Amino acid sequence: MSLDNLILLTGRTINQGVALEGGKTTKENVRAAAICAFDKDDFKKLDCLAGTPVKVITNYGEVMVYSTISEEGPHPGIIFIPMGPWANQVVNPDSQSCGTPTYKGMKAKVEVVKDGKVLDALDLIRQLKEA
Amino acid sequence: MVEKKIHTVYDVVCPFCGTLCDDLEVDINIKENRVVEVRNGCQIGTKKFFSSNPSEHRYLKPRIKENGSYKEVSWEVAIDKAADILVKAKRPLLYGFSSTECEAQSKGVELAEILSAILDNTASVCHGPSMLAIQDVGAPLSTLGEYKNRADLVIFWGCNPVHAHPRHLGRYSDFVRGYFRRDGRNDRFIVVVDPRNTHTAQIADLYIKVNPNEDYELLNAIRAMVRGVELDGDEVSGVLMEDIKKLVDILKSCKFGVIFFGMGLTQTLAHHRNIDSAICLTRELNDYTKFLLTPMRGHYNVAGANQVFTWNTGYGYSIDFSRGYPRYNPGEFSSVDLLMRDEVDAALIVASDPASNFPAASVKNMFKHPLISIDPHETPTTAFADIVLPAAFAGIECEGTAYRMDKVPLRLRKVKEAPGEVLPDREILERLIHKVKEKKGE
Repeated sequence: MSLDNLILLTGRTINQGVALEGGKTTKENVRAAAICAFDKDDFKKLDCLAGTPVKVITNYGEVMVYSTISEEGPHPGIIFIPMGPWANQVVNPDSQSCGTPTYKGMKAKVEVVKDGKVLDALDLIRQLKEA
Repeated sequence: MVEKKIHTVYDVVCPFCGTLCDDLEVDINIKENRVVEVRNGCQIGTKKFFSSNPSEHRYLKPRIKENGSYKEVSWEVAIDKAADILVKAKRPLLYGFSSTECEAQSKGVELAEILSAILDNTASVCHGPSMLAIQDVGAPLSTLGEYKNRADLVIFWGCNPVHAHPRHLGRYSDFVRGYFRRDGRNDRFIVVVDPRNTHTAQIADLYIKVNPNEDYELLNAIRAMVRGVELDGDEVSGVLMEDIKKLVDILKSCKFGVIFFGMGLTQTLAHHRNIDSAICLTRELNDYTKFLLTPMRGHYNVAGANQVFTWNTGYGYSIDFSRGYPRYNPGEFSSVDLLMRDEVDAALIVASDPASNFPAASVKNMFKHPLISIDPHETPTTAFADIVLPAAFAGIECEGTAYRMDKVPLRLRKVKEAPGEVLPDREILERLIHKVKEKKGE
């Protein structure tokens, strides 16, 4: 299953903040930041269990993360990935000449990949190093 | 006499977010030099104190990459190699600085000048647009104590302090009792403007759901309505016209209002123009009542980085020393833009993790060139750096000064000894300056 015409937002969550202070390369950070939060009704359309890996695709890249249902909804049409290496695979690097990339508000689509592999922070960044 | 095992340090300033809470109590096991208990801190701040304890993620010795693998070396060898990389580079970038103290930031400026380098801090990817807007139109700011004591209307626009600044609400803006706000939360009206019904929105009196990337339109519609202009149409940015009217009435009728704003305005389309409009709205509301605004700064000393860079160079971030004098041009000399154009040929990262926090395409380019990282523990940046210089935690293992989000400087405290061979950021940068000068024959 997949969903089109979504808007991707990114930002701080307290779990992600705690996880990064506890160790950015830990599994805890994967659990806190390698997730995509869906509006409850949007998630029903994906027809999968919470926690199933999903591929988030934007014009700037794609990344595999775990799906979850948002506690900060309803926000139909909006998905949220906590700030961090996973979100930054798919954000818009254009700063409109002001220095700050457009980390929020990208058009996105999502595909359910039941056997998808969510990489940990080091493996994810290693791909950029070896690119 | 029984030997005292636990030493408690009081009134500790928390080195996590820009709220810079200054009432933490930290228990230290003196014998083991470990943090064993933190009181009064939020979840994230508390975790930071515990993460200073030795662990598999903490670097205790300098290390360099040789033939694809890492080896631990002495400080002399590591500093020599780092200085070598920086001196040979034609366009080195010095980036980070927001999670360290002001004296180290000042040394960073000195090193950048000697190297004719580019100097940037993390404001570049967070509140840089706020600085641009403040340079454009000024800003009616105040210290947080004023808001605590006086504000009866608090607006959180594009920020989610429940998650990002957990104690802000309890110390300054929401639940706290103030001199003129004796009943705390009951004496304040809280408004949240955000595309998501955030946890902050869920405890607000009024939640305005704005469409992503359309804050600029909403701000200008509010400005027009404040001036008495009747707008056509049923809605602006997904907000019904009657809700905007209701908000305008609330804005005009408060005794003392404040807008706290965050990345929801700076990291979306229109960037600094959003802040321009927010500032102009705040200024215009002062025709009716008292109104101020304040950016919710993220890193605990990013405000300090802007202060230190400004008093040394005249500019807060995105500074180029390549002509021997400082030039400022975000978009041209800002880190992500430089990396996207692949202009940088070496990078020194101080107390930051751009590999995690920059867009992927810019990280790819950063990794093409030599990378030096000064950091206390393992991050995706240090893991792939050519040289890692292990630092002490400023505000936990060494003293220093930090600026709160309202630009109030506070003295950070040392609560425990630094483990292993780690050094404060300030001393690492001093050693680099000394070695770079030596190599350049100065």
